[in-house]
Amino acid sequence: MAKVIMSGIRKEFGSTVALSDFTLEIESGELVCLLGPSGCGKTTALRILAGFEKADAGTVTVGGEDITYVPTPKRNFGMVFQEYSLFPNMTGRENVEFALKLRKAGSAERKDTIDRLLEVTGLTPHADKFPHQMSGGQRQRVALARALASNPRVLLLDEPLSALDAKVRDSLREEIRRVQREIGVTTLFVTHDQHEALAIADRVGVMSHGRLEQIDPPRALYEQPDSAFVAGFVGTVNRIPAQVDGDRWRVLNRSVSASQTVDGATLAAIRPEQIAVDVDAAGDDTVREVVFLGPLTRLTVDHGGSTLIADVLTSEFGGATMGDRVRVRLRDDVDAIVLIEG
Amino acid sequence: MKVLRTIFLILLGLYFFVPLLAMARFAFQSVPVVLLTPEKLLEGWSISGLIEVFGNPEFQRATIVSLQLMVLAIVLTLVLLLPLAALVEIRAPQLRTLMTAITLLPWVVPPVALVVGVAATFRNTVPWFLASPYSLVPFYVLWALPFSYRALDAGLRSIGARTLYEAARVMGASTFTIIVRVLVPNMIGAIIAASVLTAALVLGEFAFAALLLKETLPTFMAEFQRSEPRAGMALALAVMLLTALIIGIGVRALRKRGMDLQAAGV
Repeated sequence: MAKVIMSGIRKEFGSTVALSDFTLEIESGELVCLLGPSGCGKTTALRILAGFEKADAGTVTVGGEDITYVPTPKRNFGMVFQEYSLFPNMTGRENVEFALKLRKAGSAERKDTIDRLLEVTGLTPHADKFPHQMSGGQRQRVALARALASNPRVLLLDEPLSALDAKVRDSLREEIRRVQREIGVTTLFVTHDQHEALAIADRVGVMSHGRLEQIDPPRALYEQPDSAFVAGFVGTVNRIPAQVDGDRWRVLNRSVSASQTVDGATLAAIRPEQIAVDVDAAGDDTVREVVFLGPLTRLTVDHGGSTLIADVLTSEFGGATMGDRVRVRLRDDVDAIVLIEG
Repeated sequence: MKVLRTIFLILLGLYFFVPLLAMARFAFQSVPVVLLTPEKLLEGWSISGLIEVFGNPEFQRATIVSLQLMVLAIVLTLVLLLPLAALVEIRAPQLRTLMTAITLLPWVVPPVALVVGVAATFRNTVPWFLASPYSLVPFYVLWALPFSYRALDAGLRSIGARTLYEAARVMGASTFTIIVRVLVPNMIGAIIAASVLTAALVLGEFAFAALLLKETLPTFMAEFQRSEPRAGMALALAVMLLTALIIGIGVRALRKRGMDLQAAGV
């Protein structure tokens, strides 16, 4: 089994620092997502792991073996790219077979592996089509089958869903997750899409300016962000001033404890779903915008000069419209908050 | 508007057609030049002059030399430029602008300067090189560079060569395997375009051959036209047709693969 350790990686492009003291461990069989805005270094980290870029400092080990200076073809990795990367002159089956031939697999073994992979990725009926005859989703599934063909130690996914339309993206995302679990391959998935990262990963690492800001399971990342950046990048957050109240804090007229705090922080990170909105003609707050999202309704409320975003259950919501007077409060089930910055 | 467009197209058509018709009448009508009036448009057409040229041994020699030069120039162009363009695209895309500028240089230096410079260098070191007609091949490769390099470069870009290269690298392929098994089969269109352009340039090139005193099809034609103006004109038209035919075949080959010359970067 292959545990990946990237430690103390530094990479500069000219005067731009792409990664500085970047350290990441991926447990054997784990799926880790690197999430961050463009230019945060997530793709560079993946390309260094793939061997496409050489780190200026630091080491990369896989399964205890130092591969920092091992060239890409000898790493035995599989990779799916954002752009369609199937060889246009080969059918789906031939693309998968090409990977196996390069690993010197015998022809009987090749056929077994191909049939199994086409089955796993649901491609059997499309196997003999050329890439230009396939849909985007089919192409990426062939790319996934091809990446898994040589039984790689590590699977690298570089925004594999970004070129697809929304519906295909969701179903392929689930499929990647299922196949990855089934095969148990250690996987690094790079994306800028937080929903994708939260939905698919065992752990999500949020990156900013060449550093790993925080790496945690999706729920912990969402509920216990370490920094204002993580809180703001993962999900939507309201920054609401909090006043000291003994050893507790006062937020939106409720006394709550702080589950997490940064030194000197007085701004609470409140998620839209933690805010309740009561329709009240005598209220001090004003509805600015109402967006119906099906089960939820998203309200933008003017609260003492600042703007708050609240997601309320449509079924519980009183049906205020733009300009109505309301009163915002913390939901009753919120008893701990996260303080993020001063 | 439609009327204006039609008139414009007719004028444009005449602009190309009238000189061609005049050339054809001069070349293929066995009527004295002063009598080539509109009334005699259909009289005395014959290709016997042209057939006579085809039998001329000097013509045959020059044609064979030109065809050999064409094949050699295409082979050398592909062998040198394809790996070069692929390496630039894959390993050092930041050099692309520089390469585009460098490949234009042969057209900035006039053939006279190029030939004089090269001749001065080689005459003293390897005199046999300039004696052979094949010494023209490197000149032609250089001369075609602005077109052939661009065609290959555009081909590499249109297939996303960099991603294909990286995908094959991860699978364990060597650079040679990638070029032969992945890049070449997918950029046949660009290879055809580069070859057709090189062929057309070689078949029409006069300055280098004349300056180096080689007998190729164009230098033979220039000479021949002086002694036999009408048969010379017939030959010129025939070569023009042949070149158009080669380009036409190239375009058809591309169409069969679902490409047009534009997609191949021309």
